Amino acid sequence: MPGSCSQLIAALVEVLGERGVLHRPEELMLYEYDGSSLDQALPQIVTVPATTDEVAAVVRITVAHGRPVVARGAGTGLSGGSVAESGGVVISLARMNTIIAIDPHNRTAVVQAGAVNLTLSEQAADYGLHFAPDPSSQRSCTIGGNAATNAGGPYCLKYGVMTNHVLAATVVLSDGSIAHLGSLAPDEPGYDLLGVMVGNEGTLGIITEVTVRLLPISEDVQTFLAIYDDLDQASASVSAIIAAGIIPTAMEMLAGRGIAAVEESVHAGYPADARAVLLIEIDGLREELKTWARLIVEICRRMGAREVQVANDPAQRARLWAGRKGALAACARIAPRYHIQDGVVPRSRLPEALRFTETVADRYDLTIVNIFHAGDGNLHPLLLFDLRTPGILERAVAASEEILRMCVDVGGTISGEHGIGIEKRAYLHWMFTADDLAAFRQLRTVFDPTGLLNPTKLIPLHESYAKTSFAQSVGQTTMLDRLM
Amino acid sequence: MSNYYIEGIAPQAVHTPRNADELAAMLQQATADGASVVPWGGGTRQHLGNAPTRYNLALRTAHLNRTIEYHPEDLVITVEAGVRLDDLQDRLAQNGQWLPWAPPSASAASIGGLLASGASGPLRLGYGIPRDWVLALRVALGDGRIVKSGARVVKNVAGYDSHKLHIGALGTLGVILEATFKTLPLPECKHSVLTAYSKPLNILQALEQLRAAPLNPVSLVALNRTTAERLPSLQGFMHDQPDHLIIVARFAGVSAAVNRQIREAVIRGIDAGASCVDLDEHNEALFWRDIANFSAPLDDGALMLRLGAPSSQLLDQSRLLEPIMRNYGWPVARMVYAGVGLSFVRWYLPADPDPDEATAALAEVRSAMAAIKGYAVVEDAPAALRRTLDIWGPPPSAASLMRSLKAQWDPAGILNPGRYVV
Repeated sequence: MPGSCSQLIAALVEVLGERGVLHRPEELMLYEYDGSSLDQALPQIVTVPATTDEVAAVVRITVAHGRPVVARGAGTGLSGGSVAESGGVVISLARMNTIIAIDPHNRTAVVQAGAVNLTLSEQAADYGLHFAPDPSSQRSCTIGGNAATNAGGPYCLKYGVMTNHVLAATVVLSDGSIAHLGSLAPDEPGYDLLGVMVGNEGTLGIITEVTVRLLPISEDVQTFLAIYDDLDQASASVSAIIAAGIIPTAMEMLAGRGIAAVEESVHAGYPADARAVLLIEIDGLREELKTWARLIVEICRRMGAREVQVANDPAQRARLWAGRKGALAACARIAPRYHIQDGVVPRSRLPEALRFTETVADRYDLTIVNIFHAGDGNLHPLLLFDLRTPGILERAVAASEEILRMCVDVGGTISGEHGIGIEKRAYLHWMFTADDLAAFRQLRTVFDPTGLLNPTKLIPLHESYAKTSFAQSVGQTTMLDRLM
Repeated sequence: MSNYYIEGIAPQAVHTPRNADELAAMLQQATADGASVVPWGGGTRQHLGNAPTRYNLALRTAHLNRTIEYHPEDLVITVEAGVRLDDLQDRLAQNGQWLPWAPPSASAASIGGLLASGASGPLRLGYGIPRDWVLALRVALGDGRIVKSGARVVKNVAGYDSHKLHIGALGTLGVILEATFKTLPLPECKHSVLTAYSKPLNILQALEQLRAAPLNPVSLVALNRTTAERLPSLQGFMHDQPDHLIIVARFAGVSAAVNRQIREAVIRGIDAGASCVDLDEHNEALFWRDIANFSAPLDDGALMLRLGAPSSQLLDQSRLLEPIMRNYGWPVARMVYAGVGLSFVRWYLPADPDPDEATAALAEVRSAMAAIKGYAVVEDAPAALRRTLDIWGPPPSAASLMRSLKAQWDPAGILNPGRYVV
C-alpha cells in the first residue's frame, strides 16, 4: 500500500531539506509539461537533489512509498518522457550541473547530469575540443537528458549520436543502489549495460553523471546553402553527395511553406518562392575541404540548384545557419502551436517521403513544414495549428500517425532522436513483434523489478498505456486530479 | 568433429541449421532438453573464455550466409551472421564502401562470431568499434525466441538498444542471426609512416605528437622490438637497428590531406630522434593485416593478454608492468593501440611452464592494471595453463544485473555455459 503523501514529503524533506522538496501546486505547475506541450500531468512532488547519494535516497524513499519516479533534466524533451503521467515524484537534476573535469589527455569530460549541453562544448573549447551531439535545444538541454534519450542533432551525420559519445555513467537503480556502468578502460568484460542505459528514458535507471568523449575541433569548416525550385532536386543532391563519398558534418533541409516564414523572421537570405533550402556543412583538413567543396557545389548545380552560397568565415556561416536555427520559432508566425514528429526513412526514400507528407497535409487541411536532418533521413515534420480551431488536434494527431506509419513502411523508424515517451509508445508494435516487446519488457524488469521508474514510458509495463498515444493522454489528467 | 573440439572437449553433435528459423527451433529444443550449446561461426575466436562446463551441441551458422538487404545509397547493409567479413568487404568495395573494421582472421571469421566476441582492430582509433555502427541485430535468444532491436536506418531511438548487449557477450544471451551495419565510403587513399626510436623515450609523448592537430591518424600502434621482429611484413625494415620502440601511424582520406599528414608526421618523428620509413600501399596493407592477426592465437606458446586502461595511463602502465615482466625474465611482445587504451601482450613462457608461476605472474599484472583502473584478460594460453589460469579476472561490478538478464533470455543456461564472465 502506498503511504500517504504527507509522510512521503516529510521523509524527503528529512534528506533534502525544505529547499529540495517542492509540493505546492504553484511550484508543481512548472513541471507539468515538457517541450512537446501536448502531454501534461502534475507530479505530486518535485525533488531537487544535489548529489548522486541524494538521488539514491529519493528513489529509495519514493519506491518504499510505492510511488512512481520520473527523472527530468531541462524538460526540453519532445515526447512526454519527463511528464509525470501517473503522478509520483519528479527528480529534477537541475542542481547537479557541474562539469567536474575535462581531461585533454583522454579527450573526455566528466559531467553531472544537469549540466547544459552547450556549456560543455564552450568549456572544452579551451582545450581545442568539442562535444559533438548538438540537439537544437543545446542552450538549455542537459547532458543527462541527452544521454537518457540518446539525443542527436545536426552534427550526428558525421559524428554519431549520444550513444557513440558516452563512455561511462553513474546510475541510480530502482532499489536505491548506485551502479557504475562503462569505463575509460575499453572492452571491459561483461555485458554492455551502458549501451542500453543510453536512451532508456528513465525507465531502467536515473543517470546522474556521465563521462563523455570529446573531439578535436577541426582545422577548417565550410558551409554551403543550396536553393531549389524543386523538392526532388534537393533530395537527389543529398544522395549524390553521399554517393560521391563525402560525409558532411551536417546536411539540413528546410522545405515548403516554412521557407517564407523563416525568411520573414530571420532574414537569412532565403528566396520566399524557393521550394527547398539545403544547408551543408563540412569539416576536416583544408585539403579535404577543398576537394569536397568543389564536388558539393558541382553536385548541387548539376541536380538543379538555382543558387549555391558558400560561407567561408564564421559570420557568413552564422548567417546561413540562422535560418535553420531560427526555423522553429519562425513557424509561430504561421500558427501558435506546433507538433513536431521525428520519423526516419532510408535516405534514398526521402523524395517520396516528403511528397507523402505534403499529400497528408492537404488531406487533413493542415500546414506542415519540414525542417529536418536530410543527411540522416530524419524527418521533422512540423504540424502547425491553432488549438482554437475545432477538431484540429485530432486532425494533427491522425496526420502525424500517417506520416510515422509511412516511415515504418518504407523501412525506417518512428523516432530518430526525440524518444518514444508517451507520444509514440502506441506505435512501437509497427516496428516490433510481440516477442521483441516482451524481450524489452524483460530487460526493463531486470533493471527495475519495482516497475516504478517512469512506468508508463517507452515500453510501458501495463498494456493499457501501451495502447494510448499522446492524444488520449491530453485532457485526461487535469491539474485538479493531481492536487492532493 | 575434431574441428569443433574446445580445449580437447568434443561435442556430442554438430548441427548446421539451414536457416534462422531452424536454428531458433534447435535452441528451443535444447532449452527443453537442457542441452548445452556452443554457437559456432568461423571458429576463429573459440580460444576466448573458459572451456564450456558442458558441451552437447556445436551450432553452426555457416548456412546463414545471405545478404538480406543492401542499399548502397543509404550506406546500410543487412547480412546474415554466417557471412565472412572479407566476403562482406568485397561486396561493399564493389560499391566504393567498407566497414572500417580490421579484426583478426577476417578471411575466415564470420560476422556473427566477430560481433559476439567483441572483435576490434587497429582502425578503432579513427572509426570506433562495431558497437558504433551496428544499427540493428536479429537474435535467437537462448530459449529460441527470435527478437530484434534497432532499425535499418542510421538513426533510431525506438525500443532499447538491446543489440549492444549481444556484442561481446560471447553468445551467452543469444545467437546472432542477422546484423545491420552503417557502412562508410572507402577513403581515397591510405598511407602509413613507421617511426623507429633507438633510445628510450617517453612513449606517451611520442604518441601524442603523432596525433596532435592537424594529425588525425585512423590507426596508431606502438610495438616493442620483440613484436616487430615477429611481424613478417616488417622484416625488410628492421635491419639491425637496436630500436626501443616502433610506432606506426596510418592516415586515410583525401590524398592531399593524407600526404600533408605523412609529411608532418615524418618531421615530428625526426625531431624526436626517430628514423622514419614511409610504407607504400602494398607494404602498409600487409603490415596492418599482421597487426590485426597479432591478437589471434598463433600457437607460439605465448600467454596472450588483452590489457585495457584509460589511454592517458599508458606511461604508468609501462612503469608498472616493465619491472614485473623483467623480473620473470620471459620474452614479451607488446603491442599498444594508442589513443584507445588497449594493448596486447604476448608473454613467451618457458616450455612446460610452471602453472603456479604463471598464476602468480598473471596476478601481479592484474593488480598493476587495477591500480590504473584497468584490467587484464587472458585471450590465449598454452594448453597446459588454460585450466589453471583465471581467464577473466574479477567479476564486473554490475554482475548481479548481468546474471539476472542472462536468466531472462537464456533461462535454461544452455548457451556457452561457464565460458564467459557472466
